[in-house]
Amino acid sequence: MNSKVKIGLLHSLIRRDEKLLIDEINGRDDAELVMIDDREISFSLKKSQTTEADIILERCINHYRALHALQLFEDSGILCINKSTVASICGSKFETSLMLKQHNVPQPEVRIAFTEKSALEAIEDMGYPVVMKPAVGSWGRLIAKVSTREAAEAILEHKTTLGTYHHSVFYIQQYVEKNGRDIRSFVVGDECIAAVYRTSEHWITNTARGAVATNCPISDELAEISKAAAKAVGGGILAIDVFETEGGLMVNEVNYTMEFKNSIKPTGVNIPEKIVDYVVQCGRENLNG
Amino acid sequence: MALNAQCPVCDAEISLPDDTVKDELFECEECGSELVVASVNPFEIEEAPEIEEDWGE
Ligand SMILES: Nc1ncnc2c1ncn2[C@@H]1O[C@H](COP(=O)(O)OP(=O)(O)OP(=O)(O)O)[C@@H](O)[C@H]1O
Ligand SMILES: [Mg+2]
Ligand SMILES: [Zn+2]
Repeated sequence: MNSKVKIGLLHSLIRRDEKLLIDEINGRDDAELVMIDDREISFSLKKSQTTEADIILERCINHYRALHALQLFEDSGILCINKSTVASICGSKFETSLMLKQHNVPQPEVRIAFTEKSALEAIEDMGYPVVMKPAVGSWGRLIAKVSTREAAEAILEHKTTLGTYHHSVFYIQQYVEKNGRDIRSFVVGDECIAAVYRTSEHWITNTARGAVATNCPISDELAEISKAAAKAVGGGILAIDVFETEGGLMVNEVNYTMEFKNSIKPTGVNIPEKIVDYVVQCGRENLNG
Repeated sequence: MALNAQCPVCDAEISLPDDTVKDELFECEECGSELVVASVNPFEIEEAPEIEEDWGE
């Protein structure tokens, strides 16, 4: 008889996604839930972190808390999903672009600049429209589509004057004409388990911002690029944002604490079950050495 | 048995299922406010915290 794998759910607020994972773990014979609240833990560098959990599933809402907690748990030899290196890469659009490039995964053209002047020159050189994004950020917040030089100048000035230091690295991406939709695919381990189209009248198609999710059939091309993107950032449980372009599919970015609640119904795929299957499998392999 | 309380924003009656957990986020059906379960026993709810700069997926 195999004993239960103790899954440490690293969390703070419990969104619908975390609730679905909790229900999934509690409903299984092969897993046991250990709640680890990121607001209650502290770490000492003098002794290693202990936990009852055999493996940690990271589901924090704050990127920096997730990243540092993962680094510290890993330092104590505790297996984490996703790995801290994956969190670090996916938490930064710049690092993600760099990894996609190094692994030859197609992506829209990207420029990085550090001053208003060099950023404006880069934008003019790329041609309008472009999209400017904070290097760290999510849910479509503070991303700006820039269609004219006047707008570029204004946004660069605002970022410089009003932004935190995160806004002092200008991440500039070519705007992709995507006809009202993009694709969000879900990779768990070696498999692309599901994908949705996110359709919106607005160019920002996050479901958190009101876009509608419908099933997207997983073509070979989509499965390949999704798995390649997941591998490029270090693998695990990942959601890939993909654009359909005339030149084929391109990866926009990779999310490491993926939200999936709006994608279960349209795809008919039990995403929390797939996630926990994978975590149990990794935990079991780790326990058996 | 359901858990009952009042919305801290609009006073509407709120009823959540008994498998509700601490820190669970939900929306008031009446006024749409983002709320969070502060404690299950006793059952207490409050307004959810504001989004922070590094929140996301
Ligand atoms: N270069 C681009 N061209 C066209 N649309 C874009 C471009 N970049 C982003 N978008 C749109 O804006 C949305 C949000 O962008 P992106 O995913 O990069 O930001 P985010 O804040 O990290 O969102 P999340 O973390 O929730 O996925 C995307 O779903 C996409 O539809
Ligand atoms: Mg995205
Ligand atoms: Zn209310």
